[in-house]
Amino acid sequence: MHHRHGAGDRRGCINLTGLDDGQSGIIVSVMGGEMLTKRLADLGITPGKELKLIRKTLFSGPVQVEVAGSKLVIGWGLASKIMVEVK
Amino acid sequence: MRDDNKINIVLAGQGNSGKSTIFNYLTGLHQHIGNWAGKTIEKAEGTLFYRDHMVDVLDLPGIYSLTTVSEEELISRSYIIKQNPDCVINVVDSTNLERSLIFTLQLLELERPVIIALNMTDLAKRKGITVDVKKLQKILNVPVIPTIASRGSGLTRLVDKAIDLKTGKPERTIHKYGKEIEQGIEKLSDQLKGIDLPYPLRWIAIKLLEKDSDITARVSELKPRALESSLRIMEELEEIHGHDSPLVIADERSLLASRITRETVRIAKDRELSLNERLEVLTTHKVTGYLFMILILGGMFLAVFSFGNRLSEWLDSIFSGWHDLWEAAVGTSFWPALGWSAIESVLALIQIAFPYILPFYILLYLLEDWGYIARISFLMDKLMHKMGIHGKACISFIIGLGCNVPGCLSCRIMESKRERFITAVLVTLVPCSAVSVIVFGLVGKYVGLLWALGLYIFATVLIFIVGKISSKLMIGEPVELIMPMPDYKTPNIKTIFSQTWDSLKEFIYIAAPIVIVSGVVIQGINLAGWMPAIASVMSPVTVNWLGLPAVTGILLIFGILRKELILVMLAAYLGTTDFNEVLTSQQMITLAVVSMFYVPCVATISVLWKEYGWKKALVITLAETAFAIVLAGLVKRGLDVFMV
Repeated sequence: MHHRHGAGDRRGCINLTGLDDGQSGIIVSVMGGEMLTKRLADLGITPGKELKLIRKTLFSGPVQVEVAGSKLVIGWGLASKIMVEVK
Repeated sequence: MRDDNKINIVLAGQGNSGKSTIFNYLTGLHQHIGNWAGKTIEKAEGTLFYRDHMVDVLDLPGIYSLTTVSEEELISRSYIIKQNPDCVINVVDSTNLERSLIFTLQLLELERPVIIALNMTDLAKRKGITVDVKKLQKILNVPVIPTIASRGSGLTRLVDKAIDLKTGKPERTIHKYGKEIEQGIEKLSDQLKGIDLPYPLRWIAIKLLEKDSDITARVSELKPRALESSLRIMEELEEIHGHDSPLVIADERSLLASRITRETVRIAKDRELSLNERLEVLTTHKVTGYLFMILILGGMFLAVFSFGNRLSEWLDSIFSGWHDLWEAAVGTSFWPALGWSAIESVLALIQIAFPYILPFYILLYLLEDWGYIARISFLMDKLMHKMGIHGKACISFIIGLGCNVPGCLSCRIMESKRERFITAVLVTLVPCSAVSVIVFGLVGKYVGLLWALGLYIFATVLIFIVGKISSKLMIGEPVELIMPMPDYKTPNIKTIFSQTWDSLKEFIYIAAPIVIVSGVVIQGINLAGWMPAIASVMSPVTVNWLGLPAVTGILLIFGILRKELILVMLAAYLGTTDFNEVLTSQQMITLAVVSMFYVPCVATISVLWKEYGWKKALVITLAETAFAIVLAGLVKRGLDVFMV
């Protein structure tokens, strides 16, 4: 496990699933294995970038986000490992 | 042709950026295209003659990185290098420029001649996105050519540029990382001098710092000292930045991509939502999304059924007098009878299978080209997790509805081996278009449409149960869904019809000959009087357990070749398509259930063999056959009780 920047040590920092539909945040850190973090980085999910939650689904299904100008679908479990600071 | 008149081009880029569309346009070949990332699973090669040049074009599967994580990335990377292309055309989706640039920056590090095809500029325009092409060209220092691949626009300019590039020597701009990283790269490049690898030193140095497994292994063999110092540099980087050095590099690259995007892209605000954007909201909404899914899929089946029935009846009225004409012309002895069975088989194929398969493929490709399949993945992800796989598996399921063969192949979009295998097993249970012919043409037509729909629901529930069980049997870490969501686009009628035609061609060139031979063989066996003997061998299963007429035994054997043969051969053998004369409603349903789940057809078995080895293919085949027979027998007994 690699904790980037150590999550949760900043105030106002929540995980991605805590955003409401249409709300934006700045990515603070991604907690996850090396492979996963790398895959997310290749898709533009890196600390410092703005991310907008477009919509969630029922029963903790995947979330749809817009980041780096493109739309992505991310499973709930993974989304809860992405920490953001609410704008 | 002289060597300097030959040129080879590689198409590289992220998924769903339009590589295969460009490839098809340039080479006149027919790579499958559709609106989701991951369609191209195998490289494709083609040739084009242009301006006195022979241009070899290589289409690669979409990748998001040149640091190897997946096998596809390793394969694509080694092609970009080993092919030693005169030019790499980086196909970039201009509606997703920032994400695309992350890959472009990695590609430029390989120091091959690169041309950027800034694709889908029409869609960008519609979204209010303008890209400053000149500025982008200046920053990246490579030619940038705006293209609209779906209309062929800009593509000849692309080839022109590639030919020009071969004669000229392009200068390069190095896109620099932060100071500490650059110092590390410099130090490593110095120590790597003289290494026997076909890559630029700077690139090898970067890949070492990115912990690329392939490069690390090779350097440890050839220059162990450079590897040692790379480890030290990485430690330093990790101390300064607080996280792993591959991530430090990925972060900086990603930020560089956003900086370039900020400088070159303008997005118009206050734009009115387009129809597709409104549909996007409705079809992915947490409530209406599911309603639309039921509506769209239900509507699709209704349309296939009603169109198929009508066309089938119309064809029946045309073919009905032909048998009498044939007998009047050539008589009724052994050879004319055998000849007629060949004709009858083809007619039955046209009349029974074609009417359903045609609308099926048109609608399937319509949904695919529009971009709907990715929405199903999004909506169904949660449910898929209950089966130990994730939403992307739905893409394979939907493709499997057309044909299990590409359905099984598409399982390569799943990230882990375990998920690939579970998904492939489930795809073999998805009723393909050939099975749908039996469900619609037999059960739907003679028992009732609700029964046909019931069979589909039954299959869905069954797939869920099997998925649940196999996820328990095959233990492993479930992978989370990460999937680019393509924008909807207006379906291209030409693409839909040409892909439908490609699928129907298979029907003409492969199905028709098989049907003729099978028809003649079955009729030959019948005329020689061997049918009762063969049928009786299988009758413990067919007659006693399943309650079907004895002749179905031999049909089920031929059905292994292609499943629609079961119904087509039954019609040819009986000389009529009025199946209710020979089968009761219960028998029709039982036959449909066996056909749905028993042995995947020969083509599917061979794909399973190729992808997962003969042992697994054999186990799946035997298990599903046994399962289908047991299940259909139970269904029959259930029907005996409830359908009186």
